[in-house]
Amino acid sequence: MSRFSRINTIWRKELIDLLRDRRTVIAMVLVPMVLYPALMLGSLQALEVQQALLGTEVYNVAVESRPAQLWTQQVIQEDASLLARSAPETGPAAPDAAQEHSARQRSEQRPPPFRVFVVADIEAAVRAGDVHVALRFHGAPPERLAPPALDAMGIELIYDGSDVRSRDFAAPGLSGILQRHGAALVRERLRAQNLPESFVQPVAITERNIAPPERMSGAVLGQIVPLILIVMTITGAIYPAIDLTAGERERGTLETLVVAPVPTIELIVGKFIVVTLIGLLSAVLNLASIGGTIYLGGVGDTLTRGGEFVFPLTALPLIFVLLVPLAVMFGAILLAVCSFARSFKEAQNYVVPVMMAALIPAVVGILPGTRLEGPIVVMPVANIVVLTRDLFLGRFDYAAIAWVLLSTSLYGAAAIAVAARLFGQEAVLFADAGSLRTLFQRRFFVPRMAPSAATALLVLALAYTLNFYLQQALARSGLNTEALLIGLAAILALMYGLGPWAAARYLRINVPSAFALRPPTAAGWAAAALLGCSTWVLTIGYVVFQSQHFPVDSAVQRHAQDFERELNGLSPVLVVLTLGLIPAFVEEWFFRGFVLSGLRSGLGKVPAVLIVALAFGLNHYSAHRIVQTTALGLLLGILAVQYRSIWPAALAHALHNGIAILSHRPDGLQPLLESLGLVLDEKAGVPAVWLIGGGVLCAAGVVLALLQRQGRTEVHR
Amino acid sequence: MAVPQQPNETAADVAFGVARDAPPALIVADQLSKAFPNPDGTRKLAVRQLSLSVAPGEIYGLLGPNGAGKTTTLRMISGLLQPTEGRVLIDGQDVARFPLAVKRKIGYLTANTGLYARLTPRELLDYFGTLYGMAREARRRRIGELAEYLGMGDFLGLRCGALSTGQRQRTNIARALIADPPVLILDEPTLGLDVLSNRLILRLIQSQAQQGKAVLLSTHALDEIEVLCRRVGLIHRGALLAEGDLDALWQRTGRTRLSEVFLHLVGADEPLLAH
Repeated sequence: MSRFSRINTIWRKELIDLLRDRRTVIAMVLVPMVLYPALMLGSLQALEVQQALLGTEVYNVAVESRPAQLWTQQVIQEDASLLARSAPETGPAAPDAAQEHSARQRSEQRPPPFRVFVVADIEAAVRAGDVHVALRFHGAPPERLAPPALDAMGIELIYDGSDVRSRDFAAPGLSGILQRHGAALVRERLRAQNLPESFVQPVAITERNIAPPERMSGAVLGQIVPLILIVMTITGAIYPAIDLTAGERERGTLETLVVAPVPTIELIVGKFIVVTLIGLLSAVLNLASIGGTIYLGGVGDTLTRGGEFVFPLTALPLIFVLLVPLAVMFGAILLAVCSFARSFKEAQNYVVPVMMAALIPAVVGILPGTRLEGPIVVMPVANIVVLTRDLFLGRFDYAAIAWVLLSTSLYGAAAIAVAARLFGQEAVLFADAGSLRTLFQRRFFVPRMAPSAATALLVLALAYTLNFYLQQALARSGLNTEALLIGLAAILALMYGLGPWAAARYLRINVPSAFALRPPTAAGWAAAALLGCSTWVLTIGYVVFQSQHFPVDSAVQRHAQDFERELNGLSPVLVVLTLGLIPAFVEEWFFRGFVLSGLRSGLGKVPAVLIVALAFGLNHYSAHRIVQTTALGLLLGILAVQYRSIWPAALAHALHNGIAILSHRPDGLQPLLESLGLVLDEKAGVPAVWLIGGGVLCAAGVVLALLQRQGRTEVHR
Repeated sequence: MAVPQQPNETAADVAFGVARDAPPALIVADQLSKAFPNPDGTRKLAVRQLSLSVAPGEIYGLLGPNGAGKTTTLRMISGLLQPTEGRVLIDGQDVARFPLAVKRKIGYLTANTGLYARLTPRELLDYFGTLYGMAREARRRRIGELAEYLGMGDFLGLRCGALSTGQRQRTNIARALIADPPVLILDEPTLGLDVLSNRLILRLIQSQAQQGKAVLLSTHALDEIEVLCRRVGLIHRGALLAEGDLDALWQRTGRTRLSEVFLHLVGADEPLLAH
């Protein structure tokens, strides 16, 4: 029976088992179907009703004297009859339909009814809540409505900011009335002087919002939907994750499952498919329910505050695509966490911190200023939130989408690897087989010759993310180029050199074996030299091809040229060391050493080399370099597996980097290469003879490396 | 006394006194030890240097008080736990090196094995049959055979959650036997069963042995052992106190009941107080 048909059997059985459980169906289908209509329609309508009621309440105004009371009453009456005469839609104060208007703005334009009282201490009356607002006149209030001639009057409007009636209804309402009165006086005075209105309004400003209704609606949805999707994906996946791990253990079925002839990883993958599927279904049902509620329930107009609501349908397919890695990541994380628990109750306790941990980056993501750049691109959860928001706004940045998908998938893969490692553990399987603490204490670890695939993926995910953050921090630190280079090399050495070494030591993994430190054969050095002396020219050839067919953004190009000029001003030894040799060794030590030896023990040689090559390509954090770096990673991977040593790969990598750097330097190999007919100019391209020569050398290196394998197999036979 | 080693004899053969002409043992446990780590850094030795072997057609009884290490031993033999020392061979294959191949040959059953409550016995048996790599037609036939033999016809289509204890244990036994494995490891298979279900299961164990299967049975029910087993191993505090034919044990200890033999061997054979 093949691995795939076993996994297929497992996930289908788990799905049937779960769907027969009413609790799953309730959590997955009923909650979204009932929750949104209840929550959105109910609460929004309640809010509207309350606002409407508050808008018709009679509000009390306090003034300090009888003349002030008379004047205020007159102004209020005048305004009311003016507003009644001019329909609000056509009047000067009519709001733009698509313009946002809050309760305050509404009160300003359509003031509620007022009663005016004379009170000795108006401030105390407002403070005590006896009146909603008070007016203090600086100077006596005029006897007539208008102050005489060119006099101006000062009115202080006193309100209680902590009281919604005072803040959002009485104060803006009264302020609107007074402003309209003031404006009427201005018009009257201008008329008296035969002056046009432009006399006092020399600059007329009209605001025009050019965002189409779809985008406006997207902006609103982008604030709400991503968070709901995150929460609902987790909520949907929690129950199956617990039921299929801790629940299974509690019911006593896990023992029979583990005793069946199925590798643990297949059990976990089968369960993971179901958890992910249900998380995904839950999110999709939630999305559909939100859409349905907004569309059919007429909530959209409330959300856009009166503007036209159009659901941004074009964004939906991509949002569904984004939901997949999100569900994958949470499915895997929840499965890993729940695999650790021995009972349902214990698992529920473990799940709470996961939820909290997911919400923190989600909140970072929904902050209005957050953009999909820098560390946010690879920050789990936050990147999905920002991207979903961007998609709702109609911004489709495919490079960003690719990064988010890749990084999220990588975290998911690491989590699934951890789940597989925990799931079959004796201490987790049987309560009497020792404390869970033993899973983390070094003295209980079994010494190993290579990391497990799970460990390799986990260290890869951690080192990759930390390296990215530290590089970003360094790039923003404002250091000079020299210090920057040293810093980058130090970060690389720390993250990819010292980090994995410490992990290996802690996990009791044999360092020379895990990092493939054994000396290679002479043929290994020869193959490495052939590759190292040829790949650089092929890379330059490819870069020229790429820049001609897929041109880089001119700003990025200028930045790269500036950086190259700065590098040429520095000592060649420093540049080659920090950008060439140290990365070459450290990256081989980590990628072709630790990660490759871990992955090949779990996945086999070819998938391991491919995954490591892709991880190596991604590690350069540049979409424009991913093809050439992945291809180089592939060649270096072949060297490492064929000679079971990182040294040939390190030599080839160092030669590649060193020659590539020096070939661009006037104090390096540039004069020599130019004398040999190779002018490195993007427009001119690489002469065919160089490309053919490089191709032949490279092919020879690969063939030599591949022959090594055939010789080895024969010896075995 | 040292056993003279013949040229082709394995170490395990010598250790267990297996004669050259006897069929090779299907279950061989060779010097098994298992230590569980404690949180304080110390280790608890649950099983120490335990060796046993079970030949085809044999029912081997493993006896011992609670916490003696029986379950741990059975879990190590079926590949659920990794021995700290020693090794297990099933049909000549090392459990540690070929875990999947070995698991295919083992039917494993304990008293507290659970069932998937939301699946029917038919679906459950079909699921495990698939995991053991059986083809659809073979599964269908085997489920029919087992259902008939174990009298499961009435409840084959009900959800497992609705079954009685006896029905559940019959389903479990059918699950252990679905792939017709040559080795059966049974940990207290009759615990909590009524007399009728008990009898049915004991008969089944006998018939499986008659078909040439090796059965390793752990139980507290000493009368069951006396009926079923020719050879037994007495385990106490993780170590095998005595092992051999029941007749030889009775002769050696001068006792006629297994419980007395056991109490004698652990040095706790004061008589019960008279009324």
